[in-house]
Amino acid sequence: MPLLSGLASFWRTLLHRTRLDADLDDELRAYVDLLVERKVRAGADPAEARRTALADMGGLVQVRDQVRGVRLGVGVETTLHDVRYAWRGLRRSPGFTTVTILTLALGIGANTAIFSVVRAMLLAPLPYRDSSRLVFVWSDMTMAGYPRAPLSAPELKDLRDRSTLFTSFGSIWATTAALTGDGDPEQLRVGLVSTNFFSAVLGVDAAFGRTFAVDDESQTAPRTILLGWPLWQRRFGGDPAVVGRAIQVNGQPATVVGVMPADFRLLMPPDAAVPDDLQAWVLLNPQAIIRGPRGQQYLRVVGRMKPGVTVEQAREEIDGIAAAISSQFTEYGAKGRVFTTVGLQADGVRHIRPVLLALFGGVAILLLIACVNVAALLVARAASRTRDTAVRLSLGAGRGRLIRQCIVEGVVLATLGTAAGVLVGRLGLQALLALRPDSLSRLGTARIDRAVLAFTAGTAVLWGLLCSLAPLVEVVRTNLVGAMQQGGRRAAGVLHYRMRAGLVVFQIALSVVLLVGAALMVRTFLQIQSVDPGFRSDRMLTFRIALPGNRYASADTFNAFGRQLQAELAAVTGVIGVGSVSHLPYDNLPNWGGPYVASPGADESTAVFSDHRAVSPGFFETVGARLVDGRSFTEDDDPRREAVAIVDDQLARRAWPGERAVGKRIAADPRSTGHPVHWATVVGVVRHMRHRSLLENLTDQVYFAERQIQRNPMAYVVKTTGDPAALAATVRQIVAKLDPQLPVYDIRPLDEYVTSARAAQRFATILAAAFAIVALLLAAVGVYGVIAYAVTRRRYEFGVRLALGARRWQVTALVVREGGWLAALGLVIGLVGAGIAARLLQSQLFGITPRDAPSYAAAILAIAATAFVACWLPARRAAAIAPIEALRTD
Amino acid sequence: MPPRTELLKGTLDLLILKTLETGARHGLLIADRIEQLTRGTFSVKPGSLFPALHRLEQWGFVAGTWTSNDEGRRVKSYALTAAGRRQLASEKRQWARITVAVNLVLDEG
Repeated sequence: MPLLSGLASFWRTLLHRTRLDADLDDELRAYVDLLVERKVRAGADPAEARRTALADMGGLVQVRDQVRGVRLGVGVETTLHDVRYAWRGLRRSPGFTTVTILTLALGIGANTAIFSVVRAMLLAPLPYRDSSRLVFVWSDMTMAGYPRAPLSAPELKDLRDRSTLFTSFGSIWATTAALTGDGDPEQLRVGLVSTNFFSAVLGVDAAFGRTFAVDDESQTAPRTILLGWPLWQRRFGGDPAVVGRAIQVNGQPATVVGVMPADFRLLMPPDAAVPDDLQAWVLLNPQAIIRGPRGQQYLRVVGRMKPGVTVEQAREEIDGIAAAISSQFTEYGAKGRVFTTVGLQADGVRHIRPVLLALFGGVAILLLIACVNVAALLVARAASRTRDTAVRLSLGAGRGRLIRQCIVEGVVLATLGTAAGVLVGRLGLQALLALRPDSLSRLGTARIDRAVLAFTAGTAVLWGLLCSLAPLVEVVRTNLVGAMQQGGRRAAGVLHYRMRAGLVVFQIALSVVLLVGAALMVRTFLQIQSVDPGFRSDRMLTFRIALPGNRYASADTFNAFGRQLQAELAAVTGVIGVGSVSHLPYDNLPNWGGPYVASPGADESTAVFSDHRAVSPGFFETVGARLVDGRSFTEDDDPRREAVAIVDDQLARRAWPGERAVGKRIAADPRSTGHPVHWATVVGVVRHMRHRSLLENLTDQVYFAERQIQRNPMAYVVKTTGDPAALAATVRQIVAKLDPQLPVYDIRPLDEYVTSARAAQRFATILAAAFAIVALLLAAVGVYGVIAYAVTRRRYEFGVRLALGARRWQVTALVVREGGWLAALGLVIGLVGAGIAARLLQSQLFGITPRDAPSYAAAILAIAATAFVACWLPARRAAAIAPIEALRTD
Repeated sequence: MPPRTELLKGTLDLLILKTLETGARHGLLIADRIEQLTRGTFSVKPGSLFPALHRLEQWGFVAGTWTSNDEGRRVKSYALTAAGRRQLASEKRQWARITVAVNLVLDEG
C-alpha cells in the first residue's frame, strides 16, 4: 500500500528524525567502506583510497542532505525547525521581541476592535427575517422643518391598499403605561404596534407564547400585551406560566400573549424616536388605523417588500402612491404629500457610517505605522546579523533557506503579535462598549467572533509577510567577502540607513494625518461643548410621573397634584427651582408637534410646523431659559382663563416680522387632532432652546401652559444647590406621600440628557485621540530607533570629531539635526496628506473648517516635540562618547 | 541538458526495481549491476542512488534490512516488496508505451 507506507514515512520523518539520520549515516559509511575496500584490493593506498572514494561520492554530507531532501514531510520538518530557530532567536533578544509584539498588538488590536464594530454596525444584517427586504417609510416635511416625519394612520392604510410590491406594512409608536399589581407600581416604555408588526413585517417569533394575531383586534377580545425578555425576567421571575395570565396595565387587565426572545432588539433609525429598550408591546387600536385625521402623524412605518423587489422599485411605487393621495385628498392642500423610502438597514446607520469609515481608515493607518515600525526593527536586526548571515552563506546554507527563515521569523512574530492583538482588541472592544453612546444601540451586538478573528488573522499574516520582506533585501544582497572583511556593520550601513530613514519619514507622515484628524475632532467636540443650547442643565434632577387617567380625570385634580408636588419639592432644603415639562431635551421620546397658523383662515396645508411642549409655571426660570419679551406662565394660567402660549424668538420673527409677538393670536394643535384648532394668545417670547439638536436651530417652538392643557406624563425638573442625584430618595418619598400608587421613573440629572446628545461626537473624539496618541508613540519609537542606530553607526566618526576638538554640544546638534530633517520631511508630506484626508472628515466637523489652523498647529507641535525628544536621547549618548574608546573598539 | 536528467530520474527508479527483481542487494551492488547491465552507459552516483532508494522505500516498493555480506560486513540491503513488483510491472508497461511512442516520433520522416 504505497499510500499507507507514504503516510508512515511522513510521520517517521517528523517523529524519528534522529534514528533515521543515524541509520542513514551507517548506511553511507558502509558504502564508503565497501568502496575503499574495493580500491585497496585493486592495489591502492588505504588513505588515498578513502580520499578518492569520498571525492567520487561527491561528499558524504552532501549525499546525506540529498537523501534528507527527498524524505516525505521534510518541508514540515524544516519549517518546524525554522520555527524553533526563530523562537530561540527571539528569546535571545527580549527587548526587540517585546517592542515588536507590543507594536503589532496595538495595531492589530485596534483593527480587531474597530472591525468588530464595523461588522456589527454596517455589515451584519439586521436580526430579522430577510432583513434586506425591509424598508422604512418617512414623510418628507422639509418645508415645515421636519425632513423625516412619521405617517398618519390613513396613510398606512393607503400604502397597504395600493401597493403591489409589498407583502405587508406595519407600524410602531412608543408610549408609556403604568404596570400595577404584583409589587411596586412602575411606568413601562411600551411599543404600540400594528397586529402584523412582529409576525409578518419583522418576521420574529415569541420565545414563549405568540406575538399578536388578527383575533386580538376584535373589540370583544380581551386586551393583550407582549412582554420583553428583561421585564419578564425581572418582574415575573422568568416564569413561562405568566403567558395567558392577565396583568394590570394602566389600571385595566391585559392578557399576556407571549414573551419576546432574550436577543430580540428593536433596531429602528435613531431619529424614529422609537427607544430600543421598549419593555412591552400592545396593539395599536385597529379602529384608529382606519379613521383619524391625515394630519395626525405618529406612525413609524416599516414595509416588507416582495422577494426580488429592489428598494428603487419600491420607492418608485410609494412615490406614486404619495402623488395619488396628494391629488385625491384636499387636506394636503397645494403642498401635497411626499414619502421617503429607505432600506431599514442603511437608514439606521446613516449618521454613523462616515464616522465608522473614518475610524476604519484611522486604524488602517495605525496598523500601517505599526508594521512600518516592525519592518524597521527587523531591518535593524538583520543589519546586526549581516556577519552571521555571511558566515552561514559561506558555510553552504542556501539563500532560499535563509530567506525562508526570515519569513518564518516574520510569521512567528506576526502570530505572537496577533495573539496579543486579539487580547488588546477584546479589551478595546470592552472599552468601546462602555463608552458607547445610546444612539448606537447596534454597537451592543459587536462581538469578536469567528469572522472578526478570520479578518484579524488575515491582516496579521499579510502584514507578517510584508514586514519580513524588508530584511530579506539584506539576505539577498549580502556580499560575502565584503561583509566578512568589514565586520558587517559599516558595509550594510548605507542601505539600512536609507531604508529605515525612508520608513521613519513615511511613519511621521502617517502620524501627522492621524494627529490632524484627531485635533479636528477634539476641536469640534470643544465647539459643541461650548454651544449655548438656550438653557442650563447643571445641578438639576429630573424624573417623570404619569398620572392615571381614571384617578385624575378632572383638570382640577390633575392640576392640584402638579401644584402640590411642585410646592412640596420647592420646600426641600437646597432646592432653588422646580418646574415641569412634557418633553425633556434629548429624551429620545416621540416628538410632539404640528402645523401652526398666525391668522384665522390661513391655509393650514402650507403652515409651518412647530415643536410643541407643555410647561408648568417655574420651568423656564428653573432651567434658565431667557425671556426675550412678555411674561412667563403663572399658576393663574389655568382652564378658567383664556388660552395662552409662549413662543420662541425664531417663531416670532417668522410669524410677525418686525412686529411685537406678545398679544398676537396663534393656533396650534396641542391635542393632536391633526389640525391647528387651538387658539391662544402669545404672552411671552423665549430664546430658542435647542431641545432636539445641539448643533442647529431646528423647528419653531410653541410652549403651552400645562395647567391649561394637562399634558401627561410630565417630567419634573428640580434645581438644587447640592448634588442633584442625592435628591432622588427625597423625591420618591414626597411622591409616595402624595400618591403611594404612583410610579416615579427615569430619575436622572438633566446633565445626563445633554451629555447623551454629545455622546456620538464624544465617542468619535475619544477614539480619534486614542489613535493619535498611539500613532505618536509608535512614531517616537520609530524615530528613536533610527537615530539611535545612526549614532551607533557613526560612533567612530564622532570619536574622531571629538578627538579633533569638536564640542559635545556640536555633536549633539549634529545628531538632532539629522533627526530634524527626517521629521521635517515627514511633517511636510503628512500635512499634504492631512489636507486631503481632512476634507473627508468635513461632514463630522462643527464650528471649524477642515483647514482649521489651531488643529494643524497642534499636530505640528506634537510631532516636533516627539521627534525632538526621540532624537535628543540618542544625541546625548553620541556626545558622551569617549573618543579613545570609540577609536579603539571599531 | 535538463530534459535528459528528467528522463534519467524517472528511469533510475525503474532500473533499481529491475536490479532487485532477482534478489536483495545493497547500494553499491545495485550501482554495479546497473552499470554492468547498461554496459557502462549509466554510472549511478550515490548522490542520485540513495535519494532514489529512500524514496522507493518510503512508498513501500522496496524494504531495506541490515544484513551481513559475504565478507561479514554489515550492509543495508534492499529487497523488492509485493507492491514493488506490481510497480515494476506497471513501470515496464509504461516504459514500453513511451519508447514505442517516442520511436514513432523519431522514425517519422
